Amino acid sequence: MKFDSIEPGTWPELIYPAYKSTVKRGPLQPNLRIEAPLPVSQNIIATPRILLPHDADLTAHGETEPLGEKIVVTGRVVDEDGKPVRNSLVEVWQANSAGRYWHSKDQHAAPLDPNFHGLGKMLTDDDGRYRFVTIKPGPYPWGNHDKAWRPAHIHFSLFGNVYAQRLVTQMYFPSDPLFDYDPIFQSVPDEAARQRLISRFSLEHTVGTEMLGYEFDIVLRGRNATPMGL
Amino acid sequence: MSMITTSQTIGPFSHEAWKWATDACMPGTLKIDGPSILISGVIYDGDGNPINDAQVEAWIPDGVSAEAEQAIPGFRRVPSGADGEFSMRVPLPQPATRGEPVMYVTVFARGLVKHQFTAVFLEDDSGLEQSAILNQVPEARRATLLARKNGDAQYHWDIWMQTEKETVFFDYA
Repeated sequence: MKFDSIEPGTWPELIYPAYKSTVKRGPLQPNLRIEAPLPVSQNIIATPRILLPHDADLTAHGETEPLGEKIVVTGRVVDEDGKPVRNSLVEVWQANSAGRYWHSKDQHAAPLDPNFHGLGKMLTDDDGRYRFVTIKPGPYPWGNHDKAWRPAHIHFSLFGNVYAQRLVTQMYFPSDPLFDYDPIFQSVPDEAARQRLISRFSLEHTVGTEMLGYEFDIVLRGRNATPMGL
Repeated sequence: MSMITTSQTIGPFSHEAWKWATDACMPGTLKIDGPSILISGVIYDGDGNPINDAQVEAWIPDGVSAEAEQAIPGFRRVPSGADGEFSMRVPLPQPATRGEPVMYVTVFARGLVKHQFTAVFLEDDSGLEQSAILNQVPEARRATLLARKNGDAQYHWDIWMQTEKETVFFDYA
């Protein structure tokens, strides 16, 4: 595949002082752009054998249904030419409906839900589509600044079809009042790039009286994919 | 204008979701046919403090055939420890791979808003001077990509996010 340079403003700012921990952790040197045939043509191979029965239904990990609003999240993973990124691994993780992660380091004084761990993974299908059932995550406070609250989000980890397509990002929900106050969301300078992180409500994917649907399409880097097995 | 989906930080809470792959490359679970080496190091921030909540992933293209039983052959995922430490066991590179990275590495951390790609070479690889990748790296910074031999089949390689030791991070074209 070809990997074009990304226009300034599309990626978040590696040093973004409003998000304090970027200051000492973001590289100061620009990424060195190099020709490397392997990372743009091959990848780690994920196969269905890594998937567990309920990996794509995060509401099925306990003895009974978790608390909160059950939703379905789906979308297509495509490359910059709009071609589907097939059979590629997608991992998701998130807080529960009260805004608490199933994680020893999360000290937020909101309750854990024994029936919700907020962890999932799946492979995209032949159309590049993924789909999982979950609980709508709650917003939660963090220590970055006074009254710092994260907008509700689901973390996504994508492996793509070639190694250089790897991406970790966050999906947000429409009309969140916290967008303007969140330095993680705001660390992306380009307004349109920020908007592309926000999922859309989808009546089409809503399931009867069971759950509302949200759609979140993902565009990975790379174009001119060779047809070989991809 | 590219319409790519932008990046966001992995945050501090990835460990449970990423554990399935971490477990698959833990000592005792990892099965490699043939000789292997251990690459260990520490990830540091710009003040020289260890980063204790990073995730370090590695792709070992040459390792795929030697570890067919793995969940994902040729893949490692290691969360950094309390002192920023990480280590990965990888197959001993075959002579044909000389001048190639022993592993391609991807770095994630809270406070790192976009993952960073880098690569590691063994300092005693006789093909370093002919390496197509290293030859694209300014000479003064090449040492940041070299793992130093510090024992029998053991190498040391640190990741520095900043300072004059800053690791070279790549944008693959």
